[in-house]
Amino acid sequence: MPDPILQPASAVAAWTPVATAGLSIDVRDDLTIAGIAPFRGKAQAVSEALAERYGLALPAACRRISGDDITLQWSGPDQWIAIAGRGAARDLEVELKPLLAGPAAVVEHSDARAVGVFSGKHARDVLAKGLPIDLHERAFRVGDVAITHANHIGVTITQTGNEPAYEIMLYRSYADSFADWLRHATAELTA
Amino acid sequence: MSGPQSNRLASGGRIDRSRALRFTFDGRSYSGFSGDTLASALLANGVRLVGRSFKYHRPRGILSAGSEEPNALVELRNGARREPNTRATTAELFDGLVAESQNRWPSLALDVMSVNSLLAPVFVAGFYYKTFMWPAAFWEKLYEPMIRRAAGLGRAAAEPDSDSYEKVSAFCDVLVIGGGPAGLMAALAAARSGARVILTDESFALGGRLLSERAEIDGGDANAWIARVRDELDALANVRILTRTTLFAAYDSGTCAAIERVADHLAAPPPHMPRQRIWRIIAKQVIVTAGATERPIVFGNNDRPGVMLAGAVRSYINRFGVAPGRRAVVFANNDDGCATVRDLASAGIEIAALVDTRASSPQYISELAAHHGVRLVNGVVTDVEGRLGVRSVRIRPHAGAPFTLDCDLVAVSSGWNPNVQITTHLGGKPRWSDTLAAFVPGELPRGMSVAGAAAGDYALYTSLAGGARAGHTAAEATGFSSPPIDTPRADDEPTSIAAFWHVQGTRHKAFVDFQNDVATTDIALAEREGYRSIEHVKRYTTLGMATDQGRTGSVNAIAILAALTDKSIPETGVTAARPPFTPVALGAFAGHHRGRTFKPERRPASYDWTKANAGVLVETGLWLRPAYFPRAGERDWLESVSREVATVRSAVGICDVSTLGKINVQGPDALALLERLYANDLASLRVGRARYGVMLREDGFLMDDGTIARLDEQHYFVTTTTANAAKVYQHMQFALQWLWPELDVQIASATEQWAQFAIAGPRARELLREIIDAAHDISNAAFPYLAVGDVTCCGGIKTRLYRLSFSGELAYEIGVPARFGPALWQRLLLAGEPLGACAYGSEALGVMRIEKGHISGPELNGTTTAADVGLGAMRSRKKDYIGRVLGERPGLVDPARPALVGLRPVERAQRLRAGAHFIARTAEATAANDDGYMTSTAFSPSLGHWIGLGLLRHGPQRQGEIIRAVDPVRGEDVLVEVVAPVFIDARGERLRA
Repeated sequence: MPDPILQPASAVAAWTPVATAGLSIDVRDDLTIAGIAPFRGKAQAVSEALAERYGLALPAACRRISGDDITLQWSGPDQWIAIAGRGAARDLEVELKPLLAGPAAVVEHSDARAVGVFSGKHARDVLAKGLPIDLHERAFRVGDVAITHANHIGVTITQTGNEPAYEIMLYRSYADSFADWLRHATAELTA
Repeated sequence: MSGPQSNRLASGGRIDRSRALRFTFDGRSYSGFSGDTLASALLANGVRLVGRSFKYHRPRGILSAGSEEPNALVELRNGARREPNTRATTAELFDGLVAESQNRWPSLALDVMSVNSLLAPVFVAGFYYKTFMWPAAFWEKLYEPMIRRAAGLGRAAAEPDSDSYEKVSAFCDVLVIGGGPAGLMAALAAARSGARVILTDESFALGGRLLSERAEIDGGDANAWIARVRDELDALANVRILTRTTLFAAYDSGTCAAIERVADHLAAPPPHMPRQRIWRIIAKQVIVTAGATERPIVFGNNDRPGVMLAGAVRSYINRFGVAPGRRAVVFANNDDGCATVRDLASAGIEIAALVDTRASSPQYISELAAHHGVRLVNGVVTDVEGRLGVRSVRIRPHAGAPFTLDCDLVAVSSGWNPNVQITTHLGGKPRWSDTLAAFVPGELPRGMSVAGAAAGDYALYTSLAGGARAGHTAAEATGFSSPPIDTPRADDEPTSIAAFWHVQGTRHKAFVDFQNDVATTDIALAEREGYRSIEHVKRYTTLGMATDQGRTGSVNAIAILAALTDKSIPETGVTAARPPFTPVALGAFAGHHRGRTFKPERRPASYDWTKANAGVLVETGLWLRPAYFPRAGERDWLESVSREVATVRSAVGICDVSTLGKINVQGPDALALLERLYANDLASLRVGRARYGVMLREDGFLMDDGTIARLDEQHYFVTTTTANAAKVYQHMQFALQWLWPELDVQIASATEQWAQFAIAGPRARELLREIIDAAHDISNAAFPYLAVGDVTCCGGIKTRLYRLSFSGELAYEIGVPARFGPALWQRLLLAGEPLGACAYGSEALGVMRIEKGHISGPELNGTTTAADVGLGAMRSRKKDYIGRVLGERPGLVDPARPALVGLRPVERAQRLRAGAHFIARTAEATAANDDGYMTSTAFSPSLGHWIGLGLLRHGPQRQGEIIRAVDPVRGEDVLVEVVAPVFIDARGERLRA
């Protein structure tokens, strides 16, 4: 009988080696993520339930807010995601389903996403080679969220810090292709 | 004349004489200096014959000193980096540069193809249309190859491009296009306000025309002023300066495109550096300070090497420290061109005459000529003599007898065209100015302004002041206010002009468009043949259609046509300039998207294992799925696939189906939505069960098939085919957002969340029992065919189990969170070893679904209805759904429509081919007798022969009939028997076992 424990695979193993001087890549393999989609007219109720439990209401469109133990992020019209560290065995789908049963559809996305935080003085220039949006601090502030694409791969980007730091989230199966592009985009920094 | 830099001036120029660079041209070695272009280095070495023309193979030299160059086109570099039609006037010299002239054989000086010149009467305007008409059979085989060989310019590299390219987006408040005096002032004014500024310039140095003129700014050398401005801009964090960057297009809403030649000035880019980079610049305000391009005058033999634009002559003298000739004639209709005598004189070049087309020259010019002791003639140069280069010119004064002067250089100017191209890319038309004898920008796109020579302000002080004003205004428009900046002190030099285009009565051919070899006679011929619109003349003569887009020739052509048709220039109009402003390599547009990275790829859970175990992958959309897994000793794919099929049918196999689309559908109206999306009934689907479903397009044809599982009262989980996942999700969104926004439903893709594997075969349950935690009962009674449930596996891992079968065997699909996918895949293979399990891929899956008569891509091809593929009975009559009404059109319910059947070869050893057409046994194999075609075929290891599925007219009624499967492509004609489309376990007992 084989060992009963299955080792989880990293979605973003290929990203880490791309980091270089002026570009840090902090891969986030430890997240539990759940989608929250309120049904018709229930956004307020969902927001209140979340506020009561976590002290955070649903953020406005294109924004993210973080509390002590949860982050809430807009993810599209009438849709949000909740993000937290997985820790020992935290599972936001399991946690949120009873809380929001009735007013919202809750779906697990933990494994569906490849996530990493890109920071450092070259972060913006590297991302500009793939993302067609303005990442300058005058246009994209801390807490801003954009759903866009990089190198033909759909991504959600959030500015998480002024260093600057950007969290990039994309579908898991594209993670290696994204790493290919990253290597191409960072080649100049490796000289 | 030639020698080691024999024409290099003793001093001067913005070149670094301490850095000598070696290069070869047509195999001969030369040297130049850092700061040279290939053109200036060739001239420094006395080389003035540089290429042969497109059509007549006429000897050509260097006309300009910029990107407008129509003549000096060379092949640069060699091997995989050989690049044809490179303008020697913009190619920066680097050590080891290798260039070859093009369009000549056997050599530049002796080109046998120049016999085309003698055939000039054949190659007149419209010769393509006239000469190569008959017979039609010759077009492709003879005429086209012949024309291409004779007329082609350089040769592209045959090897794949060894360099890399990239694309980048940039955003700014103010984009300044061109770093000449106006552009520098505009950038400075905008930058000081705090606005984000991008300044582009196509040269490797900022300064524009200032680099080529002896100008003073603020009482000192203009070069010192450029350096001060550059230092200030460099120090500002809100400014990005892009040199070696040509802004080549303006698009909507302030989006512009530029090409940066990152490593073109190096022999080869270092490994980390892209060769070129495309900038997509999105600007709130765009200031065009793109300067102006000088025009030549049209006269006899005006294309001979040694005829050079006057401004270019000054560039070579002042910027590059090169004497472009030994004895010059200056021929101009304007002050700026005439003033070239001053720079020629100070470079020590002998001036044979200044020929001013004007009846009398302004005092400024006559004094200048007198000061330098130059003979001033008011008249015209009618012809150049000399074959491989200028030897003399024939001059016809307005008063007096014509005469000839020896010279080797003709500095020519008929005035300057503002570079209006960028201002017209969005459809605007330039406006004619009689004062300037030029087209100036007309109505501008919103957010765009023009300053300096591009606006027709040629004189220095006016240009500086205009730039400062434009920069200030643009910054203010984006919300950045600051006091206007001071314009530095400078003089406005005289710029008067009297329009003059074309010398009449020449002995020799006079060229208008040098690059496409269009002469004045071609325009006249086109006009005689009825082409009077400038757009028609352009296309008939090919004028302005070369890679230079007629930058030096177009206005002359318009003027000549205007004269021929007795119209004014504004009445004649101007042809549209379209992006790109200068040629851009296709590789740059492709960027990272080439070869394996042409598009992103998606990798399923079993990808790494498949690669490590020499499995073969196949593309399905963006996904790379395992196709089959060869084992040692297997001779070909068929043997591997047959072994995988046999294993599934006799033991158990494991297949990665993670790539199937998966969508969560939740909400009070989830069922209502699904009932309208799927053609079959879903209302009776209980919680904990799944059902096969088909989806139609609005037009009634099949769109996709998949399964619908009911996880909860208001929670459904549907699957789609791999290829249609995105399309089905879009279709659902369209239905929700547009067709029935009143439905209270939320949908979310779950494709990427779940790694999912099919476990199929008589021993599937045994294998699963090893994996699923003991607490969960998976017996046939507890978990029957089409059951669905959440369980755990491998010690508590979230698992969703489905009892579904595509293979026709006892089968399950097991889904786990994707991060556990690779480990579960290996665990299943390991646990399956004692059961004789193997991994199987999409090929074996394909064989088994054909054996079971299940439809797939070849049958779901956009032209079939549910009834065509045997699913007509699934269509619900109790509800409305997308595709129902149009699916009932007579053509779609015609009983004669080809419908799904199975086929097997009468001679069992024969192979069947998908795509073969069905013909009745005794009928002739013609399109009229076509009865349908074979959609899918496979070798069935279970039956030991080939089988097929096909769409056959009246198919279901023809079972038992022998027909022919005719494949004209492969020349095959096989007798096949029509049978039921299910070859294995027709009663479906296995999958319920």
